[in-house]
Amino acid sequence: MSAINYASKEIYFKIVYYGPGMGGKTTNLQYVHQSIPQDNKGNLVSLATDQDRTLFFDFLPVEAIQIHGFTTKFQLYTVPGQVHYNATRKLVLRGVDGIVFVADSQWDKMKENVESFRNLEENLAEYDYSLDEIPHVLQYNKRDLSAIAPVEYMEFLLNRRPTRVSLFESIATEGTGVFDTLNRISKLVLLKLNEEMEARPRA
Amino acid sequence: MAGCNWVLFEEDIERLNATLDVFLNETDAQCVLVIDKGGHLIAVRGLTDSMDTASLSALAAGAFASTREIARLIGEPEFSVLFHQGRREHIHVSLIDGDTLLMAIFDDQTTIGIIRLYAKDTEEEIARLFVEVKRQRQRGATVLKELGGARVDAPFRPA
Repeated sequence: MSAINYASKEIYFKIVYYGPGMGGKTTNLQYVHQSIPQDNKGNLVSLATDQDRTLFFDFLPVEAIQIHGFTTKFQLYTVPGQVHYNATRKLVLRGVDGIVFVADSQWDKMKENVESFRNLEENLAEYDYSLDEIPHVLQYNKRDLSAIAPVEYMEFLLNRRPTRVSLFESIATEGTGVFDTLNRISKLVLLKLNEEMEARPRA
Repeated sequence: MAGCNWVLFEEDIERLNATLDVFLNETDAQCVLVIDKGGHLIAVRGLTDSMDTASLSALAAGAFASTREIARLIGEPEFSVLFHQGRREHIHVSLIDGDTLLMAIFDDQTTIGIIRLYAKDTEEEIARLFVEVKRQRQRGATVLKELGGARVDAPFRPA
């Protein structure tokens, strides 16, 4: 649920990084945090276990371009990927404007990818949201590892909705593909808001 | 469905701030925040110089959402209040309406009883304001009308 504040001249969006455990969601946020200029970012907050696994969510507020004098602010969240944290994973989706699905490219993670994607659709449905309406992109991470599935196969498994979405190959630990992904999803949510605004009657 | 939830015009923020200022005057709380359940900060008043209000909002919304699930597990529809007691600073989070929360941060200059008493009035007043705000979702917001073109291709640029 984006928010437009005419007093502070700010527009807010919520982007959620979703996907199976250990797929690289938190690494995406860490790379964004270390790469964005100091003035354009807040603190990276991680609610993690002692083993650095995400327990509830990671949160990073970042500023992007200005549009007609309004600052666009994106709140980036990750969800805990582990299967048994579904209750908290669902909570993070509340009010989401855009989703990055971070898939693990390793062959032995394909089942987890598919299950996580299904779980995303189910959790969205509980809020009466649908991927038909929420901008989303796919990121195939860990492309530097050896035992990985071809992109075509991952597309066959994950990019199967009536409208195919953008995909990005990434190596989040090195930052490869991280900003391409973030820029695309940010652009999509901006365009979506624009569409909604244009559809409204004038004051 | 998901979509733009808030279009707040300057006059809305002025009215919201005036209501929050009354709360601060009556309670001696340090600061007060209005947050939506998705974690966005909608308004803040009081002494917040050293506070990371964006993170506070995200975490408070997360904590409140979490307690709601706990409530459900024990057969309650929702806990309407969340209270954290610290050594010096305390936090009181309460429901305004189905979408928003009121968070007061206070110290021992006031009491939880005073906070609860005035929070209730403040919640009701803000809830009435938000009914009007939501009605004006139908008003056009032209700020993004001309959005498009190359500028939006890369909203972010790494340093």
